[in-house]
Amino acid sequence: MNKNILYILLFAFVFSACEKDDICLLPTTPKLILRFYDTADPTEFKSVERLSVWAKEKDTLSSYISVTLDSIVIPLNPNTSQTIYNLKRNIVDGNDTTNEYNQLTINYTTEEIFVSRSCGFKTIYNNVTIVSDTGWIQSFTPTTLTTIDNETKAHVKIYH
Amino acid sequence: MLKYTISLLVFIVSFSGYSQTKDSITNKSPYGLRLGIDISKPIMGMLDSNSSGIEFVADYRISKKWFIAGEFGTQEERTVEDYTTSTSNGSFFKIGFNYNAYQNWLDMNNEIFVGMRYATSIFDQTLDSYRINTGSDYFTSNTIASTSTSTGLNAHWTEFVMGIKVEAYKNLFLGFSFSYKIMLNLEHPDNFQTLYVPGFNRVFDTETGFGFNYTISYTIPFVNK
Repeated sequence: MNKNILYILLFAFVFSACEKDDICLLPTTPKLILRFYDTADPTEFKSVERLSVWAKEKDTLSSYISVTLDSIVIPLNPNTSQTIYNLKRNIVDGNDTTNEYNQLTINYTTEEIFVSRSCGFKTIYNNVTIVSDTGWIQSFTPTTLTTIDNETKAHVKIYH
Repeated sequence: MLKYTISLLVFIVSFSGYSQTKDSITNKSPYGLRLGIDISKPIMGMLDSNSSGIEFVADYRISKKWFIAGEFGTQEERTVEDYTTSTSNGSFFKIGFNYNAYQNWLDMNNEIFVGMRYATSIFDQTLDSYRINTGSDYFTSNTIASTSTSTGLNAHWTEFVMGIKVEAYKNLFLGFSFSYKIMLNLEHPDNFQTLYVPGFNRVFDTETGFGFNYTISYTIPFVNK
């Protein structure tokens, strides 16, 4: 009888101990994906040389400090309705004097959506409009998006 | 005189033999309503400020091996996750049966039982606060206070129970049981999720749950059979 009690107690504690510590594996707040194309040949990807990316009044994104890439994935600020990004490239020699700048202003409304216990809430961005100042970006499409709710493919094509 | 002595001895032996036979045939055990309380919930409430509840247990013996059994109670539980803090508050009711698989010696009334329950709960779920999961550390979000409450949420589930009951004193039982729960139907708040149901405990991703209780209960004997 005592042996049985021990077995049952042991069984119970084994189960109480296996309460897993959840890890969030589902997609959460989507980032904006920009893909760079060649203005001269709009079907071809064209990498941006020595590209640095930072949001206004913030540090440069650590993964985009003077890199050469044909696409970037940048977070939007879910606490406000506007995020302004600065994109700097240098196609000459990397000296400050030959830097070229372009600013993208992204306006949107936010919507909070519950994902799961471990992931919590995510933000999706609706009624997105993108405005560019005059810099090294020749053109981009689209300038408005109904929603950004995933990261499955590029949201905006940028020609330069 | 000798004749009388022998007669008396025969009589005594036969009497004692008779009474022994009678004892071994009819071990009377009480049939009645057993009422009890789960002592683990008040203790958990003292140890964990996020949890408070009470659970009463009852069973009624219908045959040598079978008992109708049930539990009811209330529970308020605060669930703290990485991005959300929420509170479930409500009451639950469970009804089913236990089968005593333990072969008692003589007049003992101990149990090693298995059982099943149908259970239901009505509860409120409040989202106390949350923080947006931004998926990056470039823009972080602050914790936002919320008082969004969904009232009258309903859950139905089944439980498989196993446990023991030991008669510590006459008609007073100490028990432990463990239950595995499978959700049948669960209501969620709008744009949120029911993370905890009173009586069901934490709702795992597979809509299953676990529970246990430690009970003290007393049998009000109606008849001895």
